[in-house]
Amino acid sequence: MFVILVVYLSLKPSARYLRIRMTNNRTTNPAKPANPFDAYDQGEYFCEMFGRNGLSHTRRIREQLTSMDSATFRRRSKDAERELFNLGITFTVYTDRDAIDRILPFDVIPRVLSRKDWRTIDAGVKQRVAALNLFLHDIYHDGKIFKDGIIPEALVRGNKNYRPEMEGFSPPQGTYVHICGTDLVRDEKGRFRVLEDNARTPSGVSYVIENRHLMMRAFPDLADGVPIMDVDDYGRRLMRAMSAVAPAGVSDPNVVILSPGVFNSAYFEHVFLAREMGGPLVEGQDLVVEQDKVYMRTTRGLEQVHVIYRRIDDEFLDPTAFNAKSMLGVPGLFEAYRKGNVTLANAVGTGVADDKAVYAYMPRIIRYYLDEDAIIENVPTNICREAEGLSKTLDNLDQLVTKPVGESGGYGVVIGPRASKRALSQLRAKLKADPNNFISQPLVSLSVSPTLIGGAVEPRHVDLRPFALTGDSTWVLPGGLTRVAMKRGSLIVNSSQGGGSKDTWVLG
Amino acid sequence: MASLVARFGWNIFWLGRYVERAEALARILDINETYARDKPEGPDWLRVLDLYSDTKRFKKTNGVADAASVSNFYVLDTNNFTSIASSIAAARGNARSVRHLISTEMWTHLNMFHNQIGKLTQNDIRLSNLSRVCTDIKFDCQSFEGIAEGTFFRGEAWCFYQMGKYLERADQTTRILDMGYDRITDVEDDGRDSIHWSVLLRSVAGYHAFRSLHPAGSSARDIASFLLYDQEFPRAVALCVDQISNRLQDLEKRHDHSRHARVEEARRSLAFTLETGLGQRVTSRRLHKFIDDLQIALGDVSAEIGKGYLLSG
Repeated sequence: MFVILVVYLSLKPSARYLRIRMTNNRTTNPAKPANPFDAYDQGEYFCEMFGRNGLSHTRRIREQLTSMDSATFRRRSKDAERELFNLGITFTVYTDRDAIDRILPFDVIPRVLSRKDWRTIDAGVKQRVAALNLFLHDIYHDGKIFKDGIIPEALVRGNKNYRPEMEGFSPPQGTYVHICGTDLVRDEKGRFRVLEDNARTPSGVSYVIENRHLMMRAFPDLADGVPIMDVDDYGRRLMRAMSAVAPAGVSDPNVVILSPGVFNSAYFEHVFLAREMGGPLVEGQDLVVEQDKVYMRTTRGLEQVHVIYRRIDDEFLDPTAFNAKSMLGVPGLFEAYRKGNVTLANAVGTGVADDKAVYAYMPRIIRYYLDEDAIIENVPTNICREAEGLSKTLDNLDQLVTKPVGESGGYGVVIGPRASKRALSQLRAKLKADPNNFISQPLVSLSVSPTLIGGAVEPRHVDLRPFALTGDSTWVLPGGLTRVAMKRGSLIVNSSQGGGSKDTWVLG
Repeated sequence: MASLVARFGWNIFWLGRYVERAEALARILDINETYARDKPEGPDWLRVLDLYSDTKRFKKTNGVADAASVSNFYVLDTNNFTSIASSIAAARGNARSVRHLISTEMWTHLNMFHNQIGKLTQNDIRLSNLSRVCTDIKFDCQSFEGIAEGTFFRGEAWCFYQMGKYLERADQTTRILDMGYDRITDVEDDGRDSIHWSVLLRSVAGYHAFRSLHPAGSSARDIASFLLYDQEFPRAVALCVDQISNRLQDLEKRHDHSRHARVEEARRSLAFTLETGLGQRVTSRRLHKFIDDLQIALGDVSAEIGKGYLLSG
């Protein structure tokens, strides 16, 4: 019927046109409007939505997505953007001094993980966290792993993130890494690989939950009939984990979040966590230590604090123990911690475990403590402090991704195949001058995920950061932060380098 | 539930003050513009500066006090810490620091309001647009108030928010009254200045209430006593002082606080000043003196609440 009308109109416009248009204006353009997926081309990469040739678990979502036209898509995406702006969900970019607040771009096309994918990730992350905690306990006590020759002692105890002050101290439940973020990527065959452990103060979990809320408001119909695992439980789980590590004998612990303050890049997340946990969000100036106990300054005077989820780096935690110039910390906090009167999450000195140099040894560390193979493998890594690693790196500089070990946030990363000659020769000089500071890895063909760019859907590289909570046992939030490199072809997904994020669905 | 962190109480107290202050400033700029509509020489902008004792501060960075310079000083100028832009930026900054204690809706509104103010230009606040801009600002402040009323958890934090708001409101009502009295010569006269008074009453949304109380006509003295003592008028100083007393009582009875002697002393002194200070014969000069005393007493209460609950520990 529609087709006939169109043909007729195109042959005889003028008078007939008006009459038909007025009776039913929706039939004047019956041709199916363009779908933004029509021109999608994933290239040689593994695609999170289509796999290599169509993933079965995403079929229903694909059908829903491809039935929407470009205009609807754009409009809903704009709504979501405006909501983000009004909510002031922003983060700080250190490299751009004029833009204190900026919105983390949110892409409306979800990244979907199958139940099977998730089983691997869940088990792999739990295994890794268990190994990290055992490793940390060992290196701050007997150092058996050094004696057994698994990892060089100098690499660990000479690391700038190693804290000799922690030697001999055992945190409650043997838990050092209470909150862990494990960065995963997927290679061209769709296999997950660990890119990096974040065992200090991993951020981004607020986006996991806010993105879900945003997604459900902007595209409520997209999830129709799709069983997605809930992410709303995080705050309660976090509170439970924090309570489980309270000092012995405290039954109703006072748990607070310690933030560097409103100018910190992750301040929005600190607020979010406080709201989800129902605990106070404090700064160093709100806490005071008296007789090795920590108190909070309240409207009723001082009140004791038992557990501190701190979002401040070790170095700034306590000017009397670490960096004396820190204005963010609390004098005397570390001594109160060592006396067991307050628990810090994460523990002091975990930074040595997520160091890029130690990362290379993780498969061996897992085998050493757990007698298991790593469930999720590492990306093969050359350690430049070792002669063999260095020569391999120098010989293949234009093929490898070279990373300084002390940096985070993607700073200083050089991608060989994409670097200029000049950048490579500068890097060569740096490597020779300070090989201990570098590792290198082959370029992984990161998987892509369909992403709305302008009005079209284009492939963009993604990674995944699941979050694990550990009190007396480990729980992994089903989902995680999917970061997107918004620039075409870019592999750097860090929010500080212009990355965006997506909602991550784990099918139940 | 853990107690309120003292610093957050302070920030919430000032959040209440800042929003109320922005609203009052919008009201004052609006009346001043309205007063002058039928005067060939235009509004007297020095009067507004006088009202806030800002003349010196203004002259440091500005030339002539005219519509453009004074509106800019009080609306856009972020170097002026009492301007509307500064107040809303400070309110947003405070809200950000206590973001986990206020509702998402309060935060979102304030954030949008702040973005809105950030977009205003000199052209938006020129005399012909000023009234409309002031109306918008007033409306945004009131929306915030309404959202707070409907969503803000009635814990300790709410008490400090309310006290900040009512202290600022009481202070601003005295300034509006001061502005009105500045223009009259005879407080018992009830005819000549009727347009002048109705503009003033409308500016505080009190015209209809006042008319229903005084249908037969009124004097300047009636208006003063309405703005100062009416127990039903939400911007009357007495009502504000009552609200502050009630919240202090809530802190003690519902939130388990001990009484702070110095706060109580300041509150009593404020109530005493309000009840006895105006006296029988109201003259313009006595009123100014009385208003000064009230403002000092309000300032004392504010400072003692800060010292007693919020800056200690």
